[in-house]
Amino acid sequence: MSASFLFRRLVYGLILMLGVVVLNFLLIRLAPGDPAMVIAGEMGGGDQALLDAIRTQYGLDRPLLTQLGIYLGNVLRGDLGQSYFFNQPVATLIGNRIGPTILLVLSAQVLSILLGVFLGVIAARKPNGALSGFVSVVATVGYAVPVFWTGIMLIILFASVFPIFPVEGMQSVRLRGAGFWVKAVDIAHHLVLPAFTLALIYLAQYARLSRASMLEVLGSDYIRTARAKGASERAVLFKHALRNASLPILTVAGLQFGNLISGALLVETVFNWPGMGRLAFESILRRDYPTILGVLFFASAMVVVANLLTDLSYRLADPRLRGKT
Amino acid sequence: MSALLEIQNLRVTFNTRHGPVTALDSVSLQVNAGETLGVVGESGCGKSITALSVMGLIPSPPGRIAGGAIRLAGEDLTRVSEARMRALRGAEMAMIFQEPMTSLNPVFTVGDQIAEAIMLHQKVGHAQAFRDAVALLDRVGIPSPERRARDYPHQLSGGMRQRVMIAMAVSCRPKVLIADEPTTALDVTVQAQIFDLLNEIQRDFGAAIILITHDMGAISEMADRVAVMYAGRVIEQASADDVLDHPQHPYTRGLISCIPALGKGDTELREIPGVVPPLHMLGAGCAFAERCAHRFDRCDTEKPSLVDHGHHPAACHAVEEGRI
Amino acid sequence: MTEAVDFKPESPAREAWRMFRRNIPALAGVVVLTIIVAATLWGTFFYDGNPYRIVWAPHEAPGMTPDFPLGTDYLGRDIFAGLIAGGGPTLAVGAAAAAITMVIGVSLGALAGFYGGWIDNLLMRITEFFQVLPTLLFAMVLVTLFSPTLTTIALAIGIVSWPQTARLTRAEVMKIKELEYVTAARAIGARNRRIIWTVILPNAAPPLIVSATLTIGVAILFEAGLSFLGLGDPNTMSWGLMIGTNRAYILEAWWPVTFPGLAIFLTVFSVSLIGDGLNDAFNPKLRER
Ligand SMILES: Nc1ncnc2c1ncn2[C@@H]1O[C@H](COP(=O)(O)OP(=O)(O)OP(=O)(O)O)[C@@H](O)[C@H]1O
Ligand code: SF4
Ligand SMILES: [Mg+2]
Repeated sequence: MSASFLFRRLVYGLILMLGVVVLNFLLIRLAPGDPAMVIAGEMGGGDQALLDAIRTQYGLDRPLLTQLGIYLGNVLRGDLGQSYFFNQPVATLIGNRIGPTILLVLSAQVLSILLGVFLGVIAARKPNGALSGFVSVVATVGYAVPVFWTGIMLIILFASVFPIFPVEGMQSVRLRGAGFWVKAVDIAHHLVLPAFTLALIYLAQYARLSRASMLEVLGSDYIRTARAKGASERAVLFKHALRNASLPILTVAGLQFGNLISGALLVETVFNWPGMGRLAFESILRRDYPTILGVLFFASAMVVVANLLTDLSYRLADPRLRGKT
Repeated sequence: MSALLEIQNLRVTFNTRHGPVTALDSVSLQVNAGETLGVVGESGCGKSITALSVMGLIPSPPGRIAGGAIRLAGEDLTRVSEARMRALRGAEMAMIFQEPMTSLNPVFTVGDQIAEAIMLHQKVGHAQAFRDAVALLDRVGIPSPERRARDYPHQLSGGMRQRVMIAMAVSCRPKVLIADEPTTALDVTVQAQIFDLLNEIQRDFGAAIILITHDMGAISEMADRVAVMYAGRVIEQASADDVLDHPQHPYTRGLISCIPALGKGDTELREIPGVVPPLHMLGAGCAFAERCAHRFDRCDTEKPSLVDHGHHPAACHAVEEGRI
Repeated sequence: MTEAVDFKPESPAREAWRMFRRNIPALAGVVVLTIIVAATLWGTFFYDGNPYRIVWAPHEAPGMTPDFPLGTDYLGRDIFAGLIAGGGPTLAVGAAAAAITMVIGVSLGALAGFYGGWIDNLLMRITEFFQVLPTLLFAMVLVTLFSPTLTTIALAIGIVSWPQTARLTRAEVMKIKELEYVTAARAIGARNRRIIWTVILPNAAPPLIVSATLTIGVAILFEAGLSFLGLGDPNTMSWGLMIGTNRAYILEAWWPVTFPGLAIFLTVFSVSLIGDGLNDAFNPKLRER
């Protein structure tokens, strides 16, 4: 992998993030009403002293480009503004919430890919078999169910019928002072339902995609070569075919990441998961714009990073791309 | 003594949109250790299906071995378990395919792909297998084999890739080596090198080779015996000299008269007017009738069978009745 | 030995229709969707319930009183009336948002694919930028900043969803641009705009129609998500809103959230069955495998 490729992808990612910052700036200016009021949010809206302070801080009486410069400078220093509702810097607020979101999103991603690909590979062995039919029905159903509703249905099921998983929050209050492993197990226990809910939408899509991709790969000449060597059916499927079939799956996994974050927003709200999505929901109810835009910024940054990682892993997985720029 | 590989009355059918078709019909072939059998015939006549039947790699469904026997050193391959087949594939019999560009897995190094073949059949670790792979690459004439073994297929030329395929195929010293049009995709100078290599390999390892080709020049240089196929049947079989010098069947005669000058320049098959009928439209008579200048009434009602009518076996009523 | 085939030319649209007619899941989708649309349009003629008024005791279970077949919610409002009233906004916003998505996506994609060069480059960079923004979050921001009405919601969904359509259109246009009849149209001196409208887009229509269908489904889910979060138009009943407002009481009563969710699911499910059916009808070869 060439260093220049890495460098160029990094620079491109930074440019995209710069675009997000400019977009945030424009959104506040374009919104109807006084920008200072928008920034203050509904909580601080009536306080004249606060509004004046905001006007000076953001240079709102100066030309638009100067304002943009000030805004950019703030962001570069890590200052995403102040949440007047939570009475905390936005960066701090998000810093506390980003961990749980990453945990949720990554678990859902891993769960849906592992399970989905496994189902897809097995289904590809018998393209007209029962499992293939099941996978495509589940894929259509999974696509059509609203994720927040799935979450609620699971809560009803697991709260009243099979109370084996916690349906709310990320940690048990009674374990406050417990050791690391006890806490980790507790978090994992709380993670099961939200992660599964979020994974459910994508699981079936990965199954369908990997089934199609495997079917295509299984018809290729090098698979016949592997069989002609005397390779076992399992080695043919999981070593020779899957490695090639995983390339389109990787692409989609990268593209899905943004949707996954959108889904996490709803799932966090349903399960009271203390992440960025829940934060976005709370701050939107309060019209706390600095926080909302901060979440938008960080969520986009997560997508940019995910895309970068996808690009890199794609190059690692496909030797034909290595060394190319 | 019976032959090393003996195919008897092999029948292969495919389920298609037009219903079941017979892709191979009572095909019988033999090849002995150290011998090269050439198989020729137009595109679609069943050469590859014959080879894949031996390897047990007929795509199934839709394909199926519907009858006959394939004996490798006496063992009927149509009856053994899949596990036994896997143990034989790559070890006792190996195959080289037509398309070197797509026959290697793009995501593994060629050294690893050869090493895999070795490890599948011999009790050696990866390091040893990889060293053996490098030695094999050297043996098939790949320069700086140490470095090449770490290359991926896309980094090699077509000729190089076919050499890798050959190295992989001979890695476990198979008794039978099937080469299905190994040079079709390569340019002419490389073709000659590959044939030379196959000859050397045969001398060193004593393998029986089944060489499937369109190239009569290759047949005259490589083959000890020749089988000519048409529409899923063997229609003439004899020593290479007999077939080339005294072709019996009108189709074989056509093939040979289409060669401008043996051994010189372009020896690819020229066109015989007409086309092979699709399998689902084969009638009761001789499949070649539509294109045959010697056709007479018997040809439309009765399938000729492969019988010796004096010189060597040929499946033709006109030859039988001495009309040609 | 050529077979004498009686060759009757059939227009692609006709052939697609013939295939579609034989696709049972797709037809089921059409039937279910028709029933849902009809119920939201004319349901009030047959069932006069007011979805906003408190008409009964809270949390009456479904089937207990014939007057309220699906029970009542936490305030004692009629759930069946809510379903009938809530379908309209959900479907309308879904359709409008899908239309906006298609207009933006197809125009930008066609421009990028047809002209190539710097136009393509610029438009694709913009597309990539929009794909970085998590769709639902961006839509939430837009809707809160510009106050939630059915129009802003539809616009917001359209603004965040067009990139995929643009990519698809671009790919299709680039493929068709290379085909012979485009060269032929050029040769007789047709203008670019004319070629795009009369040659390229009609030929790109099948995949775009399929994508439009699927976009409607996504837009409906989107609208439901926004209303669920309380970001819908506060003055209109909608399925997502019903789930959102009854969410706090799910452990006491399952039905106020279950039925609206089922309604959303059935709608999107039938839309996607239709989409799959259209896809199969336009690509008969894929089905044969
Ligand atoms: N998967 C399949 N399904 C149906 N028919 C098949 C299939 N594979 C092969 N056939 C039929 O078997 C016949 C023989 O095919 P085969 O590949 O053996 O031809 P060939 O002699 O190797 O031709 P070529 O010189 O082009 O390689 C073909 O006419 C084809 O119609
Ligand atoms: S059998 Fe008849 S048709 Fe067939 S090759 Fe011989 S002469 Fe020609
Ligand atoms: Mg062949």
